[in-house]
Amino acid sequence: MDWDDEYDLQTVGGGTAGPSFMDRVRNAAPDEDEDEDIIPGVLPVINETPLEQLIRHWTNERHAPDLLAAQEDLLANLLDHLRRQSETVQLLRGDASTSEEEHIRIMLAQVEIERVKFIVRSYVRTRLFKIEKYARYITTNAEIQTRMTAAERAHASRQANMIDRHLYSSVLQSLPPTQGHLDDVDPLSTSEEPKNIMITEPDRTRPVFAHALQNCPPVHLPDGESLKMAKGHISLVPFYVVEHLVARGEAELV
Amino acid sequence: MSIPHSLRTSITPTELELVASQQLVEIVPLISMERTAFISGAYGPLRPPNKAKVPLWMAFNLKLKKKCHIVAPDWLNVEYLQGKLSLETTKPEFSSLPFRFAEISKVLLDVASDDLENPDRLRSLLKDLREARQAKSRDGLKTLDHSELSLPNLCSMEINEIRPFFVQSMSLMSQLMPIATVGSLGDS
Repeated sequence: MDWDDEYDLQTVGGGTAGPSFMDRVRNAAPDEDEDEDIIPGVLPVINETPLEQLIRHWTNERHAPDLLAAQEDLLANLLDHLRRQSETVQLLRGDASTSEEEHIRIMLAQVEIERVKFIVRSYVRTRLFKIEKYARYITTNAEIQTRMTAAERAHASRQANMIDRHLYSSVLQSLPPTQGHLDDVDPLSTSEEPKNIMITEPDRTRPVFAHALQNCPPVHLPDGESLKMAKGHISLVPFYVVEHLVARGEAELV
Repeated sequence: MSIPHSLRTSITPTELELVASQQLVEIVPLISMERTAFISGAYGPLRPPNKAKVPLWMAFNLKLKKKCHIVAPDWLNVEYLQGKLSLETTKPEFSSLPFRFAEISKVLLDVASDDLENPDRLRSLLKDLREARQAKSRDGLKTLDHSELSLPNLCSMEINEIRPFFVQSMSLMSQLMPIATVGSLGDS
């Protein structure tokens, strides 16, 4: 496969959903958008390229205290694209007849490959950090597991197991039996089923900077007021207030 | 293999620059290139001396190899920034600037200062702007409560700058909140 095939491929089948890739390029909003509005970087979500989507999910993941929904398909698509692009570059590099002009193209393509790889890596590692940190929470909570891939779930349960075994063999086994478990509950709690405070949970009340990508339905603030974020609005609010907007792509974290 | 400690609480300015580099800028190419499919989209064709729109990272790389001139975005000139600065110093609210103006202007001033008019003046204007806005965002801390703080027209780099302090202050306030009478503290 060479460069032009890749080009054709994008033209024909690149867009798995909606308009073809080239259509999207032709109708791409950025050009018009910049002229009409002084706030660039805010595009209607529909016109986002896969890479722009990944960048959005990556920054969201970086700033959210909780684990966000996994983007398995998006990631698979981009990794596929990365692999195809790398193969094309390898092929062209091996070809001694490539011209000077072609070298520039190859250089640019390589630069981009590295950029995308960086983002993919950082995204995956951010999730990994949260998964390892909240491993024991994840194994006891079915809801958060729905936001993870099978591999991530497996990793979380291995990690939780290891931590448990480690804590047991290093400390717990030499403590009196009443203290030898990881099930201390909040001594001040008055509820029927007190929470286990030895499990690290995501702090969903941590404030985040939310940036509305479109006009959002009103959200409820902790002080009882409601807030209606218009497109472009930026607010510092506790994460749980805007969680659903971020999940739906109506707001992003910045 | 999880993400290093220093990157766990916030994104770094360098990473913001990486994000901003995805935005399109106009260049005057000095080489020709066919329209080419990249991962982020198809760019080109480059036909000197016609202008073309490419992402900032591409302009940056071509510029380093002296294969293009970068056309300054319409907000990166002395006149425009002067206007914004006088707004900034006379009005209490933040004036509207492109969301990633700090990152983009830094990259352009770093590599393409010869394509900009009066780069030194631009630098000092940007610095004045930054300081005027920084003073305002510090002032904004007064209005911080446990529930919400609106920050219209704040830019990505400025958000990143105030993030650690504002986030921690707000967390602390919500921890104190159950003790105080709900609703008696500020409104937004």
